[in-house]
Amino acid sequence: MGNFKISVRRKARYVNEDLCTGCGSCAEKCPTMAVDVFNAGIGKRKAIYKHFAQGIPSVFTIDAPNCRQLGQGKKCGVCAKTCQANAIDFEQKDRMVEIEAGAIVIASGYDVFDPSVIPEYGYGRIENVVTALEFERLLSASGPTGGHLDRPSELALEEEIAGSEKDVRKMSGRVKQLEEKQGKTSALVIEEVKAGASDPALVEWAKQAESLAGLEARLAAMHHKKAASTTAKKLAFIQCVGSRDFRFNKFCSSYCCMHSVKEAMIANEHDRDVHSSIFCMDLRAVGRGFEEYKLRGGLQANIEYVRGRVAEITEDEAKNPIVWFESTVDRQVKSQVFDMVVLASACVPSAGTAVLAELAGVELNSNGFVKTDSLQPLATTRPGIFVCGCAQGPMDIPESVAQASSAAACAAEAVIGSPTVLRATA
Amino acid sequence: MNKDVLVIGGGIAGIQSALDLAEMGIQVHMIERLPSIGGKMAQLDKTFPTNDCAI
Repeated sequence: MGNFKISVRRKARYVNEDLCTGCGSCAEKCPTMAVDVFNAGIGKRKAIYKHFAQGIPSVFTIDAPNCRQLGQGKKCGVCAKTCQANAIDFEQKDRMVEIEAGAIVIASGYDVFDPSVIPEYGYGRIENVVTALEFERLLSASGPTGGHLDRPSELALEEEIAGSEKDVRKMSGRVKQLEEKQGKTSALVIEEVKAGASDPALVEWAKQAESLAGLEARLAAMHHKKAASTTAKKLAFIQCVGSRDFRFNKFCSSYCCMHSVKEAMIANEHDRDVHSSIFCMDLRAVGRGFEEYKLRGGLQANIEYVRGRVAEITEDEAKNPIVWFESTVDRQVKSQVFDMVVLASACVPSAGTAVLAELAGVELNSNGFVKTDSLQPLATTRPGIFVCGCAQGPMDIPESVAQASSAAACAAEAVIGSPTVLRATA
Repeated sequence: MNKDVLVIGGGIAGIQSALDLAEMGIQVHMIERLPSIGGKMAQLDKTFPTNDCAI
């Protein structure tokens, strides 16, 4: 205790933090798109990016594997040309930083359980089944849909339309060029080829013109489908996905009952026609004001609480998920069609927890979170190292904040000594 | 004995710890894996039970 030496790899941003003003003109001009991790993989961002708009520090970072110049070895450097502050530095390297500390607070958080390992829920296979975190981004005004509850199947359709439109533009350009050059219409050429013309140039032309017509028809059908679609109105929330399930995690993830109620409420605030069914074994509303919140959801936000565990989710032709469940009220197996299903996936130890624990020399508990004693809930098994928040186990934000302040007090006590004056007067 | 504190993780718990320690006059070093601090809470739209904005 007291003298920890820590070596940290400070990863290269490829942007000089002291020069970058965070203006964002580099990202505007960057030609490469990458998956937006902050938006839970929904939507795209540029290869030079800020993790999120209000992110601190307010400087940009190059996502090296996705960057043309750094990751793919092509010539690019558009960002460097655009940057007025000359902050782009492709030569930047990872640096090792040595830190000495008297105490350590572990607040390494959690990961969201990947529900694709539960085959009966169809996550990853059924487009309109999403995780709660993905749904959170769809609801957010700063998210990929600007807060509209567009279904992932519709977003995929939009992307497909955009791709097809590009193809149509390219192909019709080529066909039009041929028409102008040869002074013939494509329809005539198709006729000629059908009648037996064997000139390879004509055959190729006819083939192109035909596939263009096919593509245009498909595009029209897609536009028609898009026009008929609406935002999601009927939502299902499935609780305990990967938690309280002996196949995966035995523990309760503690916050998901409440965040499902919250998401259902916010969805209803956006659009009063939204109706939500929350499928749960029991709804655990144990914090201050939580029970009232749950009741308010039922009374004012069109939420129905359904007791029971969902057995399976299937899909109909319109890409609507169908939830199969046992109604313990009617004692019947029922099915119900929804626009979208939200999985309250479990809170699991973050991927690096085991490595971090080994480096720090602290033990983990049977669930893989940092081990603590019930009488000293912030002390790890190594003196001078404390833990708070979801690194210690699933908990909500108020509890994380309370623990964080306690851990800070413990760490302060470890480095500057205990407040003996207070102790004497107490 | 060294009087600095290392905070591993820049989510809501790490940020709260670091701020409290700094207010006590302690030098804090924070490590964050991602380019920005904020963690999962920054990804949330609003928080229960008050429906206040997360950021």
